[in-house]
Amino acid sequence: MREYGAFTKKEFLEFFRTYKYLVMGLVFLLLGIMSPLAAKFLPELMKEFMPEGMQIALAEPSALDAWAQFFKNVTQIGLIILVILFSGSMASEYGKGTLVTILAKGMPRKTVIFAKFTAASAAWTGAYLLCFLTAWFYAWYFWRGEAWSAALLFSVFCLWLFGILLIAASLFGGVLFRTIYGSLLFTGGIVVLQFLLNIVPKAGKYLPVSLASQNMALLQGTAVTADLAWAAVTTAVLTVLFLAGSCFVFGKKQI
Amino acid sequence: MKVLLENLPLLLPLIIIELVLMTVALVHIFRHPNYRFGNRAVWILAVVFIQIIGPVIYLLFGRGEDE
Amino acid sequence: MNALKIESLKKSFGANTVINDMSLEIPEHSVFGFLGQNGAGKTTTMKMILGFLEPDGGSIEVFGEPVVYGKSGTNRYVGYLPDVPQFYSYMKPMEYLRLCGAAAGMGPGETEAAGTRLLDMVGLKNNGKKIGGFSRGMKQRLGIAQALLHSPKLLICDEPTSALDPVGRKEILEILEQVTEKTTVLFSTHILSDVERVCDRVAVLHEGKLALCGTMEEIRAAKKRSGIYVEFREKEEWKKFRGLPELSHLFIHAEASGRGAAIRTADVDRTGNEILQALERHEMVPLKFEIEEPGLEDLFMEAVL
Repeated sequence: MREYGAFTKKEFLEFFRTYKYLVMGLVFLLLGIMSPLAAKFLPELMKEFMPEGMQIALAEPSALDAWAQFFKNVTQIGLIILVILFSGSMASEYGKGTLVTILAKGMPRKTVIFAKFTAASAAWTGAYLLCFLTAWFYAWYFWRGEAWSAALLFSVFCLWLFGILLIAASLFGGVLFRTIYGSLLFTGGIVVLQFLLNIVPKAGKYLPVSLASQNMALLQGTAVTADLAWAAVTTAVLTVLFLAGSCFVFGKKQI
Repeated sequence: MKVLLENLPLLLPLIIIELVLMTVALVHIFRHPNYRFGNRAVWILAVVFIQIIGPVIYLLFGRGEDE
Repeated sequence: MNALKIESLKKSFGANTVINDMSLEIPEHSVFGFLGQNGAGKTTTMKMILGFLEPDGGSIEVFGEPVVYGKSGTNRYVGYLPDVPQFYSYMKPMEYLRLCGAAAGMGPGETEAAGTRLLDMVGLKNNGKKIGGFSRGMKQRLGIAQALLHSPKLLICDEPTSALDPVGRKEILEILEQVTEKTTVLFSTHILSDVERVCDRVAVLHEGKLALCGTMEEIRAAKKRSGIYVEFREKEEWKKFRGLPELSHLFIHAEASGRGAAIRTADVDRTGNEILQALERHEMVPLKFEIEEPGLEDLFMEAVL
């Protein structure tokens, strides 16, 4: 446990001193602010820039639009930033050989995996929470009670869980291929594979990617919690498999 | 534009974030002579003129090792 | 008890056999010099001792416990200094040692005390810089500090002095000499004077096997009197001696130099007599007739050539 704590601390220190926390925190804060702002003001801005006399019907923006922006931004920008930031973690340890002296001290190899997963998950959770709370505050400021809906928390949780899966996938990719690109391609491949599988009728119900695509459906009421239960279970199982795989493969790697 | 000016306090955090990122990146550029790619002039221009993305790209990719 | 016991170790990378049936024992409290040319397999052997590389055959035991590839259980006895130690450049020396201490399962107080003492010993105590700004010599010294942090019973150093300037080398050797009182040391090098200075046992690795192994005294004794040096006053005398038919077979293994030659032989007494009798027969008096005792360099060259 002491090794685990120390190595996790080292990961946090690394995130901090290599500006990863700063970038991640600020980008997610930015996404949290931008999403409701965009929902609120884009229609009005568009009206101003329209040529005189042109009529377009624009619905009055609602809190749902803000959440639509939020989920779109976090999935398209936030998750990508997360994976890019974390994909070099294993690669730089392999590439520079910095683990040699640490492992020569008798620290179990799986500790490296768990510590890295913990630190990255904590960073993601913190940044995502910051993003969500900011977005909520702005949505509340513009639309008050409308900003809240019963399905909101579960919907937000689903995207969080998907992020955790991506962390485990990029860790496994990094352990397996030893390079940043290996990690990125593996993680990207996992997502693309799910898009392909999604074509199969009824497969979507079990695919983790639903956790990142059905968020608005949950808020609009076209999907219910039970529809995503299986996807959540698959995601959790896959995360555990990726971690176990990482430990197994890393235990067999020549250093 | 009127809409944006009326809601300036709401936009203030965005400006602060941009300024923080820019300052951190600029300080790092001036303290370190070596970059993974590009040179000092290019990075200063990128960080100052490309909002948000410039500093982020610098801090994540362009930044040299600690010396 | 043996600090390290290697039995018929084998390792190849593809078609390239690096270690071929090597056996080695290092008793406790010895300082073991591990010699070999570049690429002889010294680093490979060390990585197998640490469980970082998988041997193709044979076994390794550290203090009686078998080394298992991919597991680091036996490493708690071992301190390791890689040839070019790599650190997290964003950390400061003490922060790094704290991480190492925890990785070795040491308590915070213990780490703090040992870390402060070792940083003092290697001359990095008041260095507030991050490791990224360190020179090569400083990194090597920090490397020794981290290797000794958990008071290992076996210290393995891979070419600790090779990349350093003379001052840095001297510092490292002095540090090594200090720790030999309590610790068994295995260190690889190709700088022979370093070995003569600190080691009491040597092994020479050549073509995947130990070409030579034992205490310094044993090796010196076994290889004693390995050459006879004969020199004459005049070049003419030397030419005459060189042309003697009864001695021609000796000159196959000779290094000539001006008016004399060093004659290599396995049996010094017999060859010596032959030469002396020939000299008497032809009424020649040499300037020098000398039995040569080889230095480590000669032993090394002999072993690998």
